[in-house]
Amino acid sequence: MLVRTITTLFSILLILVLIAACGDDEDTPVSATATSIPATATAPALATPTPVAIQELRANLGGEPSTLDPQLATGLHEFSVIRQVFQGLLGFNADLSLKPVVALEVPTVENGGISDDGLVYTFKLREDATWSDGQSVTADDFVFAIKRLLDPQLGAPNSFLYFGIAGAMEYTTSGEVDDAALEALRDAVGVEAMDNTTLKVTLSEPGPTFLQLMALTYVYPVRQDIIETAGTQWTEAGTYIGNGPYIMTEWAHQDHITLELNSDYWGPMPNLTKITYRMITDPNSELAAYRNDELDLSQVPPGIEESITGDATLGAEVVRSLQLFTFGVFFNTTAAPFDEVTVRKAFAMAIDRDSWVDKIKNGVGLAATSWLPPGMPGYDPAVGSENAFDPSAAQALLSSAGFPGGEGFPDVSYAFVDAGEGSLIAEFLQGQFRDNLGIEVSLEPLDPPSYFQKVIGGRDFQLTGIGWGADYPDPESFLAPLFMTGSPQNIAGYSNPEFDGSAGPAFAELDQAMRIDLWQRAHEVLMGDVPVAPFFHNERFFLLKPQVQGLTLTPIDGAIPGDTMLGEVSISP
Amino acid sequence: MAGYTIRRVLWIIPVMFAIASITFALMHFVPGGPWDREKKLPASVVETLNQRYGLDDPLWEQYWNFLTDAVRGDLGVSYTFQDRPVTNIIREGIPKTAILGGIAFLIVIGVGVPLGVVAAIRRNSVTDYTSMVLTTLLASIPGFVLGIFLMILFSLQWHLLPTGGWGSPSHVVMPALALAALPTALIARVTRASVLEVLDQDYVRTARAKGLSSLVIHYRHVLKNASIPILTSLGPELAALITGSFIVESLFSIPGIGRLFVEGVFQRDYGLIMGMVLFYALVIAVVNLFVDLLYMLADPRIRYAASR
Repeated sequence: MLVRTITTLFSILLILVLIAACGDDEDTPVSATATSIPATATAPALATPTPVAIQELRANLGGEPSTLDPQLATGLHEFSVIRQVFQGLLGFNADLSLKPVVALEVPTVENGGISDDGLVYTFKLREDATWSDGQSVTADDFVFAIKRLLDPQLGAPNSFLYFGIAGAMEYTTSGEVDDAALEALRDAVGVEAMDNTTLKVTLSEPGPTFLQLMALTYVYPVRQDIIETAGTQWTEAGTYIGNGPYIMTEWAHQDHITLELNSDYWGPMPNLTKITYRMITDPNSELAAYRNDELDLSQVPPGIEESITGDATLGAEVVRSLQLFTFGVFFNTTAAPFDEVTVRKAFAMAIDRDSWVDKIKNGVGLAATSWLPPGMPGYDPAVGSENAFDPSAAQALLSSAGFPGGEGFPDVSYAFVDAGEGSLIAEFLQGQFRDNLGIEVSLEPLDPPSYFQKVIGGRDFQLTGIGWGADYPDPESFLAPLFMTGSPQNIAGYSNPEFDGSAGPAFAELDQAMRIDLWQRAHEVLMGDVPVAPFFHNERFFLLKPQVQGLTLTPIDGAIPGDTMLGEVSISP
Repeated sequence: MAGYTIRRVLWIIPVMFAIASITFALMHFVPGGPWDREKKLPASVVETLNQRYGLDDPLWEQYWNFLTDAVRGDLGVSYTFQDRPVTNIIREGIPKTAILGGIAFLIVIGVGVPLGVVAAIRRNSVTDYTSMVLTTLLASIPGFVLGIFLMILFSLQWHLLPTGGWGSPSHVVMPALALAALPTALIARVTRASVLEVLDQDYVRTARAKGLSSLVIHYRHVLKNASIPILTSLGPELAALITGSFIVESLFSIPGIGRLFVEGVFQRDYGLIMGMVLFYALVIAVVNLFVDLLYMLADPRIRYAASR
């Protein structure tokens, strides 16, 4: 509470200062908002072997990483580091298609990389890929990494994503077994090195998104010898040996991480010779650091977007991009009053999303009626549009549910995490339900662990707001964990056999068009049932110094915009 | 005095024990645990983690294990920062917080005490009024507001100092000033009040009548006798300054222990919380003891009975 008050006061003060600073430039108003990135400089893909000068990118991670272990890390700011120090078999292009990285090519049925039954994947590895200490990257390194991810003793949070691999689930969830049995289960996992440069992965059933999973950091290779000697502290600078273009030369805990170019990198040499990641936790301090030329990139603290776009200098440095992210109001569908679809629909139609985006967010973000975000395969703006803002229809629905004008509606509360924009969203929603339905929703602010235990873990809520980002760019990642019957992440307690009937087959459908079609059908069913009222899609709104050239944004970037592919980025003098 | 000191040092042990017990109990009563995350962790993962950190043991056993380890100087590992030993984390953060707090403390003594003395000696003069207005102002502005103000002036307007971070003397200036402002103002006011009281004493009048120089009077007779209330206020201020401030450390991105502690609480990092609380308790106990011993030096009439 105190921290929030302080943050609010702080923001207000900073706004005043910014407005005051803008005042000087009022003679030359700049209305333009950069909506695209400065054109990619004609940087050669392969730089000359001797770097001409230091090209340093300075960005803010926003906090100390909990871990930099590829198998364990789940935070966006952790990915921002791991992606520069390690390389996986596959990676993502800017359009989110797959590209080979350590693998020679993306396996397909045509090139013999995928067996006809879709169960066996063979990855041929580049022979020249090396670790930063000079050793070759071998198929064994990948086998070690994948089995380590699945190791029940490691307790990796995202191991379940890979349960499609034969024997994976049995190994990870083996529980109390003796060492020999565990060893046998480990050996039975369908991952093996045929030779130094051939990796074979066997699935228990066809997995159409398996290749995307192989592009994620969780299965990036790691070095068995290093981890066995250095233990859990192997991620410190010095023993943090990767196979990527950068070497972590310093991790000053809670302060900064320094990455320097690995001059022996086997892949295309990036232009940046140095990346400095600061750990500034206060967004207002981050902006101040940017304005003092200590950072090349900075997020804009929520609420002051307008004063930034109105500023003569900063306005021209604004970069915006839509993320694969949807924030929605979740209903607890297992208990009254939100077990009634009419009531849920009424609430969904009582939210004036445009007013949020235009008036509160100064145009940042996109009003959402579809749970799938734009840019996601299968996105269709028409789906869910019947639940768009319509107060009179909402009131009619509420009447038909037996609560005319909100009369007799039970007391309900909206639970939320009292951090960042949480309370702003909550207060906006409270106003919407009051004005448009005549229902007074009480607010229940919680600190993160309490919220996670009560709402996410215990489903002890009526209304809550949750933002969802894609683990990988596929509708599966947006729909299956949240809405399939019995899924541990199914916060709303949603269950519809029709939804499951589309989602189930989609998991194993190898024909991409048919698969997307199945997910679209599931999405339509979902939007008809409204276990979630989509509210808005997130938009990155940040500042970028004009000397930074060639930043390519993707919807799956980590904490730093563009960190999926920093190879083309250069700093012009 | 030696007996008293030993007795006080020994008293620290039950105090620490009580604090450890209360913290341990409170921590486990607060809703939410270290594994309650944004995306629910699979049950098998939670089980593994509980096993690894001994959280599946009965509470009394966890408590006992913690105590026996703590006695040996092992505060356990952090749950949020990949098994980094809490003692390492604290050891890395302390120098930064302590340097910052130490410099702020020097400002407090170097500015606050003289300001109060001058204001008292020149009672009801322009100097007195100016210093009192200034201290009232400093005492009422929250540290973070002053911090932002300094940042705007020194970083954004004049580009003289970095906005935050650690590593060079220039990183220390603004946070030290922001930390020192409030205690400086308080100490100036306490000093003024206690010096004023002493100035009215008979022995000061006598000293004046004897024709002693005002410097000798003020230094030897006034300041020394006025020092007890000042010391009483300085002790807790020193403890507060060297244990760090979440707000100032966050604002200036200082990798110190003040920020770490609050973040640890937010993440239910039991290992970190217990370690930090014990450390704080120790610092405060030691500083208090130190202040009590200083009393004796300041006023020979103060004697702590070895036994009663």
